[in-house]
Amino acid sequence: MTFLHPWLLAGLLAGGVPLLLHLVQRREPPTVVFPAVRYLLDATREHQRRLRIRHWLLLLLRTLLVVALVLAAAGPTVARSGVTAHAPGALVLVVDNSLSSAAVAGGTPRLEQLVRAADGVLARATPADAVWLIVADAAARRGDPATLRAALRELRPATTRLDLGRAVLSADEVLASEALRGEIVVVTDLQASALAAAAPRAPLTVARPEGAIPRNVGIVELGAGSQPWSTDGGQAQVKVAGDSGAQAPLALLAGDRPARQALATVGGAVQVAIPGAAAGWYALKATIQPDELRLDDQRVIGLRMAPLARATCAPAGRFAEAACDVLRANGRLLPGDDIVLGGFGSAASVVLPPADPASLGAVNRELERRGVAWRFGDVALAGGTDSSAILPPVRLFRRLRLVPSGSGRTGVLLTTAGEPWLVRSGSVLLVGSRLDTGWTELPFRAEFVPFIDVLLNRLARGEVASLDVVAGDAGVLPDLVSAVVKGTARWPVEGGGRFAPPDTGLYFLLRGTDTVGALASNPDPRESMLQQASDAQVRALWPGAHIVPLDQAASAAFAAGARGDLRGPLLWLALALGLAEVGLASVWGRRA
Amino acid sequence: MGGVHPYVAPRMSRPEASAARARLDLLDPVDVARLGGLELVSEGIVEGFLSGLHRSPRRGFSVEFAEHRMYQPGDELRYVDWKMLGRSDRLYVKQYEEETNLRAMIVCDASRSMAWSGAPDVVLPKLAYAQRLIASLSLILLRQRDATGLIVFDDEVRHVTPPRARAAHWRQLLTTLSATQPGQGTAAAPALKRVVDILRRRGLVVFVSDLLLDRDLALTALRFLRHRGHQVVVLHLMDPAEVTLSGPAEARFEDPETGAAVVLRPRDWAEAYERTVRGAVSDWNAACRRSGIQYHRIVTNTPFGHALRVVLANPA
Repeated sequence: MTFLHPWLLAGLLAGGVPLLLHLVQRREPPTVVFPAVRYLLDATREHQRRLRIRHWLLLLLRTLLVVALVLAAAGPTVARSGVTAHAPGALVLVVDNSLSSAAVAGGTPRLEQLVRAADGVLARATPADAVWLIVADAAARRGDPATLRAALRELRPATTRLDLGRAVLSADEVLASEALRGEIVVVTDLQASALAAAAPRAPLTVARPEGAIPRNVGIVELGAGSQPWSTDGGQAQVKVAGDSGAQAPLALLAGDRPARQALATVGGAVQVAIPGAAAGWYALKATIQPDELRLDDQRVIGLRMAPLARATCAPAGRFAEAACDVLRANGRLLPGDDIVLGGFGSAASVVLPPADPASLGAVNRELERRGVAWRFGDVALAGGTDSSAILPPVRLFRRLRLVPSGSGRTGVLLTTAGEPWLVRSGSVLLVGSRLDTGWTELPFRAEFVPFIDVLLNRLARGEVASLDVVAGDAGVLPDLVSAVVKGTARWPVEGGGRFAPPDTGLYFLLRGTDTVGALASNPDPRESMLQQASDAQVRALWPGAHIVPLDQAASAAFAAGARGDLRGPLLWLALALGLAEVGLASVWGRRA
Repeated sequence: MGGVHPYVAPRMSRPEASAARARLDLLDPVDVARLGGLELVSEGIVEGFLSGLHRSPRRGFSVEFAEHRMYQPGDELRYVDWKMLGRSDRLYVKQYEEETNLRAMIVCDASRSMAWSGAPDVVLPKLAYAQRLIASLSLILLRQRDATGLIVFDDEVRHVTPPRARAAHWRQLLTTLSATQPGQGTAAAPALKRVVDILRRRGLVVFVSDLLLDRDLALTALRFLRHRGHQVVVLHLMDPAEVTLSGPAEARFEDPETGAAVVLRPRDWAEAYERTVRGAVSDWNAACRRSGIQYHRIVTNTPFGHALRVVLANPA
């Protein structure tokens, strides 16, 4: 118990006033000569014991009355655990059903334990309480306790990660607009990787499981290097992580071809050779043996196998020519003129701004002749490319605006400050800057050669990208994508928009009926690490957090941090004591 | 007979109120006492009382009907029972048990408790009230030619005046009463035993006391008197402050006779005290009734005339 004004407790000395008055009144009273004392003695003989009890009761009531008033003035507050009833309040319940909650601990799914604890919290809520529920999708849902309990019963482990710090802040924002006194209760497996710093204004209770942490191994990374692969196959990289130091048997499957086995060391990466296949799109799936957490035992990406591009790079300048030489040396490019980089070819062309500004008109006329829907415009301000799956942001020193000549802006692959920088129209790609150091820093960057690879092997062929997103996140679709499919499911989309995969797995991107890319949605690798944060770590990140075991979550709810104000009950008690004193002094006095 | 409730003066009409101005028996006792000495006041009380009676108290008081007998020549015609003659056509005369003057002894408690008044300015002390009441009663008896005596006692018998029927005897009684000073304790039994010695024939014993005494001893003595054939009347005097408990917030109540004391808050105990007093009065009344003793409780703010009426209007 704590007090808002502890110095007022000195007033407890006033509790001795009734006793003092009692003692003072025990002084010898005035003597009255009264012949009928025998009648008084007879009367008192019968009632003396009751009267004595009454006097002591009155003394006790008066003392308690003073003590209650002094305590009320001192403003006592007390932790409300153990108190079944509570004043109406606001509570945001964060239930961590992230991927890690699917782990089985002690023979019981962790989520089942969390839901049981969370249900206990909601069971204490009354219709007068304002209650919200936040789960792994991070959306705060308000509802009556019964509805939210029903939602809890339907809760399943999500494939996504829950940033607990963000969830706590989100809960705090919810409570900020609530008039009732609020508190946050987080029911979580307290995965260390899920914690982030937060300093909510509302009291925070963290309910965590106790006992052994399940050991887990999961696939945290699956890569196929530069794509497309040639039809001769390639090397897939698999990274396995977890709490176990044992080696994990691994299987990789490309399409419906026989799986390739390997043995991966936890914490390390392994290269697995995937045999070649006919040109096409494949799902490359890696799996390990099932363990306590099943959802991270599998990972998938899109794999494109196609013949290598035959390209001429000389017209693009020396930097592009050098990059193409590197690609040829590494078996990523073949000599030929199927694609011309820096000029117009018979098949596909990657057109750059002419080195001589005087040639710009001729280039634009040729573009128009070929039916390309874009033209080079005037010189624009320098800037940087926007982030994309094709290229990380790079600085641009010079660029020409790419101006659509048709009715709409289509085929944009890369932008700078929202304006097109790399576009496609038919078999022609237009780049807003020349690929040399006078126009962009790209030739100095490590991403230059892979960009040339993507440009020639994928983009010039009409393909877009193989996107990889974390489960729960949305990916930005390239402009020309018109639909996303997974198995028999199909989602019509608009190019340039965002697409959030409803589940983990591989999604193919279509332009019309052509597959132009893939989008792989896989669990966040951090979810595979089930190591729990210590109480000290939690308190360091969430100052003032009240940490309780799962089985105490219900009793801590509507109480943790938000200490019960006892002034009201004490004033009621004082009133009751006062009434009892008056009643005892009058009614019993008349009966004496 | 013998009411156990405090006396409540009847509401008087206007003519009665006017007449009451001349009747000391109906005035407030303390006002009456201020008018003069014991003799003057008592005469005034008796005059007023007798003027208010419609018939002589003697008729039902001192002469007791015994039996009928056949008329014999020489019998006085005034004793012929004319109703019997009418019913049976025979002459009967009424024969009375006592045809001589009554012998009455008044026993007065003069203990210290009798000298107490809860409000001396407005209520007479019990002893003063008793003195005036006894003086008035004895005057009435003497006027009826009844021999009247007086015993005054406290913790012992202080004074004994044998019964006499002479008119001058009243002044002797007055002298005794006037000289009576409150004593210490209360011992009624010896005084009542003295009555046995004095009243050889059956007579009237009037015991005037606040009954703050040994109840069992007193009742035994009273029953013995009754057993001897005396008509016994107990006049229980109570001060109004003894009926209803009051006083300071808390006080030490001390018995002036025994020194016994109790500390209490009158407000807390008033109801219980009144219950106890009612119970004690009821016990006295019941005990006296069982023994054929008249019991009257008289609160000392009761006009003397009403007290006399209560006493004299109830023949044994």
